[in-house]
Amino acid sequence: MHQFMYVKPKDITEAVRILAENGEKVRVLAGGTDLIVRMVDKIWKPEVVIDIKGLTGLSGIREIDNYGVAIGAATPLNEIIGHPLIQQHFAVLAEGAHEIGSCQIRNRATLGGNLCNASPLADTAPALLVLDAVAVVQGEEERLIPMTEFFAGPGKTILARGELLKEIRIPYLPTESKGIYYKHARTKAVDLASVGVAVLALKPGEIRIALGAVAPTPVRAKKAEAFLSGKEITTGVIKEAVALVQEEVSPITDIRATEEYRREIIAVLVRRGLYEIQKFLRGE
Amino acid sequence: MAGNVIGKSVVRKDALEKVTGAAKYVGDLKFSPMLHAKILRSPYAHARIVSIDTSEAKKLPGVKAVVTGEDFHQYVGLYLVDRTLYAYEKVRYIGEAVAGVAATSPEIAEEAVKLIKVEYEPLPVVLDPEEAMKPDAPLIHEKLHEYKCVPFIFPVPHTNISNHFKIRKGNVEEGFKQSDYIFEDEYYVPHMQHCPIEPHGTIAHMDQKGKITVYNSCQSPNATRKLLSAALNYPVNKIRVIAPYVGGGFGGKAGATIETLVVPLAMKTPGYYVKLIYNREEEFRDTFVRQGMKAYVKTGVTREGKIMAQELKMIWDGGAYTEYGANITRAAGYTSGGPYEIAHMKTDSYCVYTNKPVGGPFRGFGMGELHWALEQQLDQIACKLGIDPVQIRMINACRDGSINACGEKLKDIGLTKCIEKAAEMIGWDKPKEQTPGKVRGRGIACMVKGPAMPPNAGSSAVLKINEDGSANLLITATEIGQGSMTALAQIAAEELGMSVDKIEVALPDTEYTPYEWQTVASRITYSAGNAVIRAARDAKRQLKELAAVGFGVTPEEMDVANDKVFLTANPEKYYTIAELSLGLVLPNGGGVGGPIIGRGSWVPEGLGGLDPETGQGTKAVAHWTFGCQAVEIDVDVETGKIDLVNVAAVYDIGRVINPCMAEGQTQGGIVQGQGVAFHEQMVFDENGKLKNPSFVDYKLINAVEMPRMSIHFVETPLEDGPYGARGFGEHVMVPTAPAIANALYDALGIRVKSLPMTAEKVLKAIKDKNSR
Repeated sequence: MHQFMYVKPKDITEAVRILAENGEKVRVLAGGTDLIVRMVDKIWKPEVVIDIKGLTGLSGIREIDNYGVAIGAATPLNEIIGHPLIQQHFAVLAEGAHEIGSCQIRNRATLGGNLCNASPLADTAPALLVLDAVAVVQGEEERLIPMTEFFAGPGKTILARGELLKEIRIPYLPTESKGIYYKHARTKAVDLASVGVAVLALKPGEIRIALGAVAPTPVRAKKAEAFLSGKEITTGVIKEAVALVQEEVSPITDIRATEEYRREIIAVLVRRGLYEIQKFLRGE
Repeated sequence: MAGNVIGKSVVRKDALEKVTGAAKYVGDLKFSPMLHAKILRSPYAHARIVSIDTSEAKKLPGVKAVVTGEDFHQYVGLYLVDRTLYAYEKVRYIGEAVAGVAATSPEIAEEAVKLIKVEYEPLPVVLDPEEAMKPDAPLIHEKLHEYKCVPFIFPVPHTNISNHFKIRKGNVEEGFKQSDYIFEDEYYVPHMQHCPIEPHGTIAHMDQKGKITVYNSCQSPNATRKLLSAALNYPVNKIRVIAPYVGGGFGGKAGATIETLVVPLAMKTPGYYVKLIYNREEEFRDTFVRQGMKAYVKTGVTREGKIMAQELKMIWDGGAYTEYGANITRAAGYTSGGPYEIAHMKTDSYCVYTNKPVGGPFRGFGMGELHWALEQQLDQIACKLGIDPVQIRMINACRDGSINACGEKLKDIGLTKCIEKAAEMIGWDKPKEQTPGKVRGRGIACMVKGPAMPPNAGSSAVLKINEDGSANLLITATEIGQGSMTALAQIAAEELGMSVDKIEVALPDTEYTPYEWQTVASRITYSAGNAVIRAARDAKRQLKELAAVGFGVTPEEMDVANDKVFLTANPEKYYTIAELSLGLVLPNGGGVGGPIIGRGSWVPEGLGGLDPETGQGTKAVAHWTFGCQAVEIDVDVETGKIDLVNVAAVYDIGRVINPCMAEGQTQGGIVQGQGVAFHEQMVFDENGKLKNPSFVDYKLINAVEMPRMSIHFVETPLEDGPYGARGFGEHVMVPTAPAIANALYDALGIRVKSLPMTAEKVLKAIKDKNSR
């Protein structure tokens, strides 16, 4: 590995200052499961590595009264997966997070890392999109960015120079809900998604759909959602919704799957998700 | 109870060290002064090297040596001597070693590699072996006709064909005439990687006297030594190869690969220890890979399902160098009847150079590729003729008295028992269980394999008896995870009547441990096992002779058991083995005999060559091991994804030495075969660049995907096997993929004839069928 300066800031303010001073030359280290691998492979050669593990206000899960839950960006995935608040209110996020890597990787890898990596196939992203989560970004000022606007392209977020993802806030869902995350990959574990689909239903009839690995960023299928809103979920309705989802995605061909196959899988997973939702809404 | 340990699940000798992480591998070893090596690799699949300028690299502080093909272009190769230590005059695949650097840190070595300037003149790239066989194809090895090779490899001069193996048995045209139906089809297997958990690694050192020591993650200390010696024209006794524990081999660490790069660097830097551990990308691309293979099969059968004739053409994608791969082509050729008796056969097996990574040995040694074709072909025949797939295998299975592809009359064959048992264990005649949303299918496939090796591949063992009654077993079989240490200790204990715990098994060091050809071909329990038996019997003979002197009787009146050498007629009269270990001590204090050292050497007898035009002869390999696997799968018809649910595996391994380890081997093989079936393939772009040299996009099977496995062993003793044991280990991955393919047909009436059976490929086959 090349030579670089390792910095452990004392707090978020110092971290943000170092980020601002170094711009392109700096990379943030949390779990390191993406960063270290890329540094070893010489894909990234940062001059400064800033370690944010354990900084106050960046790790852990807390409840925000009358709102929901905040998850620190440097919280390891396994902590999220096993947390009672997440299990109780946002199980779909736990399902997504559980799809990442292996148990050992999830002990290190963080939610913020998965998001800032900005892979179109990030397994936590579709869940956060359907949950209407908000990213709290700390620069000189703090700003709140809806997760739907957080991703700018493959490997790119809207984070500006000198900004750090601090936490993710997820509002409580107003009514009884059911969320599902379906992932299609080559192997059942330790694989990248070829397609990821999150579906969330809120009684009486709101449905949200988000997908990963099918566009330059994780996306919400807004047209399909609008079409489904308030409708009784029938086989015919599902068929039309699937067709609308296909209009909203732009999958590519790569070594993991062809565009054609990804579209097949998108249809299958959205359909399966909606049939599960149908059962839920019917009280089955 | 001492002795009496054959067939017992003795705990592995290396278990504690490995589960605690204490076991040392090459990567763990550190010496002083140490240098770190890095390799400059070719960015072209086929190019002429116009010039190499290493001057800037040599100037970099910390760089101690830079070597290129200019310095080291000696030829090396096990069967066909076609590879230079470093690329010379030409590069033949993307990744080929062009130069090596040894420096005081890996970072400096890497920096130096970047300072080496190479000018290339690109040449036409040949990636498809069938294109490479055409008369006007660009030649990858212009000097093929000058290369040395063993007498049983047949290169075709001035072509890209590095071996053409033929079988001409009976009269294939006559056989087709006698057939009621003729089936023709094609099957394909892509390149694969072994993916050992420990990558290749070597530390090489040359002392001031010129002695070269190589610490090596390898399967073949003696073969490595011989190959280095031959290439460098260096005395064998001036090269010492030490193999600590090896973290998996699967064939990829046989022969020599990485060593031929590191030793030249060590020769340029006497006194230093030069270390090179491959990264995963190098491990995927720059060691041996499993060759791709395209098979064209034409089979003639009677309406009752008896195979009358088979015409088989196998075209092997051998890669840039086929020094080892050429013999895989041969092994698949002489096994081309598969586990069945076929009266009329014509086989042409071609090893073809292409501008791809170097083909070489991989668990199965051609059998996985061959049986992928044969076992699906037979299944297709069964389905078309309306014969049960189990039944058609029983009809054609090799039995005692069958004549195989080479004209060898077989004996002591238990294949039909394996088929019947596997069918019973999977519940072949019972209704299938169903998983909601999935379609269940059931399939079966058989296999056969012999230990592919030169006819005179030998083993030897030394057994030293110590003064406390313990023993040191010296062998040069490498412990690559297969359990050789434990199995061989059991054999020594059995023969000596000694507790297995008292036998310490050495790791290979060619300076002290005796000759072993290679740890390959599933031959260690068989071949080294026989050598250990002889060594133990030699020690036992000496013990009995000494005890006989003590008791004033003849040695024939003595016996050995329970750590004692006793009078057969009166077991109360005995010496302990400890008492005799350094020789017999007479009542007056004088000694007789001296320390006990048992020695054993072994080579299989009765093997010979095959006729180059017909492939006919008496015995191509030492023996055959047969087996059968039946599987149940669930197919998701909407996504094409297959789950492997149940596997029944039955092998006739002659005699089970250690049931726990034999089952472990089988489980590992099934799962490796499952990976072959579903995921594994090396993907190349149009320039010959490997697109997936990492586990991100080269997928193996996860623990969660492993099937339920039931395993059984038939024990038909092998005449010259230790306690009847046959070679066994590679065999278990061979039939998994074709059995799954046959189950897929059973489930949905679709057939995928090219590996791997990815979900995408399966879904496409489902859609193609539905649209017909």
